[in-house]
Amino acid sequence: MSYLGGVSCEVMRTRLVPLSLVSVVALVAAGCSSETTPQAPPKKAALVIAQGGLGDESYNDLAMSGFTAATKEKGVEGQHIESSDVVAQGEQLLRRAGTSGYGLVIDLEFSHGEILPAIASSYPNVQWAFLNNKIDGPNIASVLFAEHDGSYLAGALAAMMTTQTGNPKINPDKKIGVIGGTKSVGIDKFLSGYIEGAKGVDQSVEVLTAYSDTFGDPTKGSQLAETMFQQGADIVYHVAGGTGAGVIEAAKKNNRYAIGVDDNQDKLAPGFVLTSVLKRADLAVRKVVEAYADNKFPGGQVINLGLADGAVGLTEFEFTKNEIPESVRTKVDDLKKKIISGELKVWNVIDQGYPTWLQG
Amino acid sequence: MTVSMLGGLLMSALLLWTPLALAALGGLLHRVSGVVNIGLEGQMLTGALVGAVVSGATGDWALGVLAAGAAGGLIGLLMSLCITRLGANEIIAGLGFTIVLSGLIGYLLRSVFDVSGTLRVAGLDPLPRILGLDPLFWLTIIFVPLIGWSLRNTVAGLRLRATGDGFDAANALGLPANGIRDIAGTLAGVFAGIAGSHLVLGQVGLFNENMVAGRGFIALAAFYFGRARPLPTALACLLFAVFDAAQARLQTAGVPAQLIQTLPYVVVIAVLTATAVRGVRGRVRRAG
Repeated sequence: MSYLGGVSCEVMRTRLVPLSLVSVVALVAAGCSSETTPQAPPKKAALVIAQGGLGDESYNDLAMSGFTAATKEKGVEGQHIESSDVVAQGEQLLRRAGTSGYGLVIDLEFSHGEILPAIASSYPNVQWAFLNNKIDGPNIASVLFAEHDGSYLAGALAAMMTTQTGNPKINPDKKIGVIGGTKSVGIDKFLSGYIEGAKGVDQSVEVLTAYSDTFGDPTKGSQLAETMFQQGADIVYHVAGGTGAGVIEAAKKNNRYAIGVDDNQDKLAPGFVLTSVLKRADLAVRKVVEAYADNKFPGGQVINLGLADGAVGLTEFEFTKNEIPESVRTKVDDLKKKIISGELKVWNVIDQGYPTWLQG
Repeated sequence: MTVSMLGGLLMSALLLWTPLALAALGGLLHRVSGVVNIGLEGQMLTGALVGAVVSGATGDWALGVLAAGAAGGLIGLLMSLCITRLGANEIIAGLGFTIVLSGLIGYLLRSVFDVSGTLRVAGLDPLPRILGLDPLFWLTIIFVPLIGWSLRNTVAGLRLRATGDGFDAANALGLPANGIRDIAGTLAGVFAGIAGSHLVLGQVGLFNENMVAGRGFIALAAFYFGRARPLPTALACLLFAVFDAAQARLQTAGVPAQLIQTLPYVVVIAVLTATAVRGVRGRVRRAG
């Protein structure tokens, strides 16, 4: 007994010495840095990856590519933070990011919106950037995309295409579909825009909706898409990250169309991806990193990115141009101009709540 | 209209059933030998990756399936050796293998294949269709009664059951009980590996590091629910597959998504409860 006690004492003594040394050094360092070097801390930035993780070939991968390029160009030390349970571990991840010496933390995960204000105020020296929602705080910059506008154009295009029955990929039914990754306002913003666009062109077009409840399971995506094709849809838009890879494969297998999201996914199955609704998360991340590197971080402000900036929109129909009639493409262009000019206002679920055409 | 919709539902349920049932049959064999296999998930993921790569490299689905089975079997054997020879706890070994494999595969994708999570294999040869369904479906259909019959009527089946029912007694009678468990563990891996390859070659046509998505654990629930008997186990998988296929359809009919997605799991829990209650009553009656 006494022997054991002696051991633990010994351990305590040996641990105490370096600990106190460390704290002295830290105190000295802190004192020095506050007096002699008021500016120029090393620029370090972190990117918190959202649900679905890297490899989704859409939102996360796109944001990561912008992050990698911008940090390299600006000489900022960049690190991405990925977790298999990014929602539940949100607070922990962000707090660790706040204490790990990053000057800038960009958060891609939508569900962190509620916890971010408290965390940002506990780490006032860190600049925080949040995508897809407006979060208040003097050191938080919010980036909003007009995804509803881009989705509106996709819906209008799909509604016009579903009546092109001369096309072998189109069936006689006036039905199109959309698959969301999860039931949330961030995703329903896309769905609502898509349905509004379709109904705006042709009120009698039926839009099937479903949610995969996962952003990383292509098998589920393929199953949901197959179901919609069986039910008479011929064009299915996916807003489901990595799950969407299955939607695109199903379109290819069934000789139908998918519509991609975020990144240009047209090339993933040439000819079977009608178009992709671009959401240039890379542009957003790049803007934020550049502003941070130039000491012009827009804390407390909202950056709006939309059709006019080219941050949102449809692709150039690289592989499907011949299958989309000229008149349809012109109509889509007209709608785009109307939205940019403000003549046409698309419903925004985040600001306006749920519309009549989508169940909340 | 309704007939074609029901047909569609049935076809997609059978498609979803195949990998579940294959993995569950493998787990069942292992269970009969007395080991609960928690590692099916990781073995399925391995099979999916190997199946994708080999099918793409050779342009032959059959070679892809065989390679997936071999890879799964190898992992199954390693896992079994950890349990039988090193005395590792079966739950921890199974869980450990699953976690290590998913981490390793994520690393391989990034370092060797240079993709970030989704692997599209050029020249991937998908499963052909025989009478509207793929060969692995028909194989599974054959395996269900075959395994049931073999467990009852063959020497191998008897020895497998003996090992599971009375490990020490089997050992005392001179049966190589540990060896039998290793064989069962290897077979479970082969089945799970092939099940994984079905996800890639029979369903999606690409590999994603999350694509198994808990199906190995549903297979585990299925052979528990089926009390390690092939037909009830296969039916448990079918039940899950039907409700999984149905939820996709009900959703588009306007039933709230969050509610309907829990349906397959609710059904599994309900049925498990029902069978447990019946089991308890049966025991009480026998005892009384």
